[in-house]
Amino acid sequence: MASLVQVEAASKKFGSVRALDEVSFEVASGEWIAIMGPSGSGKTTLINVLGGLDRPSGGRVVVDGVEVSALGERELTRYRAEKIGFVFQQFHLVPYLSAVENVMLAQYFHSTADESEAARALVRVGLGDRLEHLPGALSGGEQQRVAVARALINQPKLILADEPTGNLDEANERIVLDLLQDLHAAGHTILVVTHSPAIGQMADRRIELAHGRLAQIVANLS
Amino acid sequence: MFWRILWRLLWASRGRLALALVAVASGATVCAALVNLDLDAGDKLTREFRSLGANVVVAPVQTADTAATMDSAVMDRIGALHATEIIAAAPYLYFVAQAGEQTSPVPVIVAGAWFDQVARINSWWKVEGQWLNGRDNSSLCMVGREAARSLGLAPGSRLLLRYGGREASFTVAGVVTAGGSDDSQIFVDLAAAQNLAGLPGRVGLVQLSVRGSSAAIEDVIRRVAAALPELDVQPVRQLAAAEGQLLERIRGLLFATVALILVLTALGVLAAMTGLALERARDVGLMKALGGTVRRVMRFFLAEATGIGVVGGLIGCGAGMLLANWIGQRVFAISIAPRLVVLPLTVGLMVAVALAGALPLRLLGRVRPAEILRGE
Repeated sequence: MASLVQVEAASKKFGSVRALDEVSFEVASGEWIAIMGPSGSGKTTLINVLGGLDRPSGGRVVVDGVEVSALGERELTRYRAEKIGFVFQQFHLVPYLSAVENVMLAQYFHSTADESEAARALVRVGLGDRLEHLPGALSGGEQQRVAVARALINQPKLILADEPTGNLDEANERIVLDLLQDLHAAGHTILVVTHSPAIGQMADRRIELAHGRLAQIVANLS
Repeated sequence: MFWRILWRLLWASRGRLALALVAVASGATVCAALVNLDLDAGDKLTREFRSLGANVVVAPVQTADTAATMDSAVMDRIGALHATEIIAAAPYLYFVAQAGEQTSPVPVIVAGAWFDQVARINSWWKVEGQWLNGRDNSSLCMVGREAARSLGLAPGSRLLLRYGGREASFTVAGVVTAGGSDDSQIFVDLAAAQNLAGLPGRVGLVQLSVRGSSAAIEDVIRRVAAALPELDVQPVRQLAAAEGQLLERIRGLLFATVALILVLTALGVLAAMTGLALERARDVGLMKALGGTVRRVMRFFLAEATGIGVVGGLIGCGAGMLLANWIGQRVFAISIAPRLVVLPLTVGLMVAVALAGALPLRLLGRVRPAEILRGE
């Protein structure tokens, strides 16, 4: 299968701290990858570099044929809008926009907002009856499902999830993982940062980091 | 979607935005009031000044002949200029005649004039008896208070004037108290004076009352001088200069106050917007992470600041008109008419001030999404 993501000796330094140290790997289109490792191992930095939120200090990062590491500020913004769907641990919804408006916001920055399409995306994640609710009126699980709907709305090439179940109880964690499994089954390419061995087992492969370096890549036989 | 998000932004931040709106509306109120005062009071005050007498004099070029005169057609030439700033033009013919009994004549200064113009130029004169106000009072005259006292005249008295073998008889219509040299003069109709002096169709000088700033008065002087190159056109220096200086000082004070108010308003908006910027840094980081360009994200905040400027400007403009009228009545004892030009001017100034005060929001464009989402 063709590589959607190619990371070649990617490094990221914050001052004298090496958050990523010459990490290299490839991800095929449609793969589900779990990025694991202890705190401070560079997982979130890797996700941010792949998502165009941070620029690598060295090496090459190519996503869907676009050399992310060579893009300017404007191109990076366009890249994020067109190719990436983010799901954050803290949900990061705009508190004064309703659930459907939060999804429409991603559409607005991508091209044009379409309320009925945004509503369908929320129905798909089981929030058809919560369209007009503000984030403050939703549970943590519901907020994360809004974030998943927002991440999917522009049909991104790559979904990047940073500890998507880190702030959820067991029941909501199950719902979000089921959603990610559905997305994987539908052919989406997903990179999930997680501490959870259970989620690590669900992925096609695990990329394990330690002190910013690639420790190992483990393929799950199941 | 733009307006939907903008409305949500406004509603979510209504507390802080209300503070900014109060700052802008207050600033706009004072600015609108002062600008309106400047526009309207300036005009009204120059009209008030014009009740203080003539401020421009047209006379024959100075020669050894102190009794030089000019053709009264000069009045038509001045009228042909259609200068709206000239609110009165009074021709005078001065000469010294003999009054009283032939055996004991008393020399008096006779001023032949158009009474309607004299009345317009010298509206502060106090007159006992009747103000003459036309150009066909050949048998009536007005007498200065000092002249009346020395000749024993009162309204209704008869006065016989003699000059060069000619004589004319007048009835005193009023006694004038002007507080100057006018108090010693006898005022008669111009045509009667010309007949008595044997100078038909001649005038000695023309007094003009010109309204406007120093520059406007100077401009009228230039135009009159150009139309009457053979004559001497001069401002009554002290009066014209004092009027101009007073107006310019009032105007300078008003503009300095407006500038100060604008700065204070911008600082008020700045204070409100700084708090707002801190609250919104996370939202901006998120919007940029979702693919929002700096321009597209900043458009929300600039629209918000523009809205505050427009609404605050409109509110302040209405309040400022009322304030201007109140100040006009209390300070200058004149009513101030609302000037339409104040509306776009105030709104434009307030939008500029609100955008300047929204600097902290504009700086949000520099927010790096990764840092914000990391919680730094």
